[in-house]
Amino acid sequence: MSTQPLRAAVVGAGRMGMIHGHLLQVYPGAELVGFVDRDVSLRDHLASQGLRAPLYPSLTELFAATAPEALFVCTPTHTHLPVVRECLARRVHLFVEKPLATSRADAEAILALAGEAGVIHAAGYVYAHLPIVQAAHDLLAAGVLGELLRFTSHAYVSEVFSAKQGWFFQKELSGGGVVANMASHLLFILGWFFGPIRRVTASTRSHASTVDDSAQALLTFAGGVTGLLDSSWSMPGTQMLDYGLTVDGRRGTLVLGRERILLHLLEPAAGHAKGWTEIHASELPADTAFDVSPHIGGEAFYRQLDTFVRACRAGTQPFCSLAEGCNTQRMIDAIYASAASASPVDVA
Amino acid sequence: MNLVLDLRPPESRLYASWQERLDTVARFSRPDEVHALCEEAHALGARAVLAVLDPTIREALIAFQRWRDVPLWAVVPNMTAFIRDLTDLGMVGAARARFMRLTPAAMIRTGLRAVSDLGGIRRKDFATGGMLVADMELEALRGLRVTRLLLHPQLTEIALAGGVVKLFRTFLARAERLGVEAALVTHNPVRAAEVLGADLRRFAAVVAPCNPRGWKMFPDRATCERLFRSEPSRFLATEVTAGGTVAPAAALAHVAALGLAGAVLDWRAVGAAFRDGTPAAAAG
Repeated sequence: MSTQPLRAAVVGAGRMGMIHGHLLQVYPGAELVGFVDRDVSLRDHLASQGLRAPLYPSLTELFAATAPEALFVCTPTHTHLPVVRECLARRVHLFVEKPLATSRADAEAILALAGEAGVIHAAGYVYAHLPIVQAAHDLLAAGVLGELLRFTSHAYVSEVFSAKQGWFFQKELSGGGVVANMASHLLFILGWFFGPIRRVTASTRSHASTVDDSAQALLTFAGGVTGLLDSSWSMPGTQMLDYGLTVDGRRGTLVLGRERILLHLLEPAAGHAKGWTEIHASELPADTAFDVSPHIGGEAFYRQLDTFVRACRAGTQPFCSLAEGCNTQRMIDAIYASAASASPVDVA
Repeated sequence: MNLVLDLRPPESRLYASWQERLDTVARFSRPDEVHALCEEAHALGARAVLAVLDPTIREALIAFQRWRDVPLWAVVPNMTAFIRDLTDLGMVGAARARFMRLTPAAMIRTGLRAVSDLGGIRRKDFATGGMLVADMELEALRGLRVTRLLLHPQLTEIALAGGVVKLFRTFLARAERLGVEAALVTHNPVRAAEVLGADLRRFAAVVAPCNPRGWKMFPDRATCERLFRSEPSRFLATEVTAGGTVAPAAALAHVAALGLAGAVLDWRAVGAAFRDGTPAAAAG
């Protein structure tokens, strides 16, 4: 396995592109070799943030000047498929910001392209990289709750209380509203925890913007787990995404919050006693060298990059691969399809 | 040990549950509740308030400072709110929205300052833009007794990642011009020391996580504590109870053992400490 820093470039110099650029600069296992953005007037702005890598107006010019091993696609969602297609004309590992695409068909095309290219790939659902979320996954995967039965979950943020502007609020450009762009973080976690989605019954409402501002969904996973998601970006009280998940199994219950897990077991399992146990994030191993965004995402950004770089070096797909991102996109599409048809949607 | 109360808009904090969030946000949406928290902290020995301002906190602090000679250490700008505006309005629109909320006099002052920075604004210079947004919030500090200015950590961490010393020097100059001290609040104090070098000493204080669990101490507890021990009087501890998992008395004893200049307590720590009275003893 190579111990050289992973040479990476960022495509799209917007807010997320800059965050990834900063991380690539501070993470010792990576080297930021360039940005690509058609708006070359951003060059001074990037430089003023200490983002020292050159800005190129196209992928062609990037590859003419340097040879990145990985590309981070951070352009607006509707451009992901054509940008990925152009990226994969060369054999480069691929990180695609969430959501993968504006439709399931495009997301699956992205996955197929990455599969044909034989590269390592990842989807940018950052909250799955929080240590407390990973601890919850590990508990469920270890069978602490026994057979998983049902769940309830929420994803709320205070963001949309009136008409909104910008590409983020145009479905054809961003892929949707709160479901595609906020609840998708939780949908990714649900898919990672419970597996492929099988059936969705949902309703959505647009009460402030022109995209979905709230949604309720009944989700059934192939493994038999069934549960509820309630989501809104018009909930007062939270400037950052607030999510929660309660999972019931035959042998207990797990409650996942932002900083802790509450575990209730009917019998001892995996070193945990019968009854209630609290696991706080501060008890989990610390493995992050830099916190680029203490209030939004926190150390998850650094851990996300670490996961991707290690996967590239090991040559094995990470848990957050585009395949998992596609499972999320299938949920997003099924929620919208169910809401539009007012009937359940089976996901093949 | 110096105790400092940490006030932030309650919407910007993390909570154990959605219900705790709603209860707390509703409670601290009332200036009298924020004022009461200030009084509890004062009773415990807190002699400064570190605050990200919103209208509620501002109103509460004005009332509190009428009674108590407790200075404000102001964190500017409120980046969590600004980032939410970015999604909708973009960088220029979010700045414009803040500008439009200023009083006419403040608009003129901000406009005059901006004129001298036109080149930076045109180039979308990070330090210029950050200071412009900060300046607009400084206008909201009028009427409050401010002794220290701190750059919001969301800006600080980006500037530290990029090694943008210019932003910190501009901030130091702004604070000096206003006749107050500049300080830092960061989750990455070790990186701050690397980036700023000798300039770190120009900041009157550095507020950074410090607790016996190593919670939020980046890159790790040992490296952070090594830095703290190099000049303990420059550092104040935050996140002292590690998300409420360490009792306030033990948390403060840990900070005291390191010899740090003080500890910053949030509403949860103040509430717990007020019930058992331990920090007052530790502070004494």
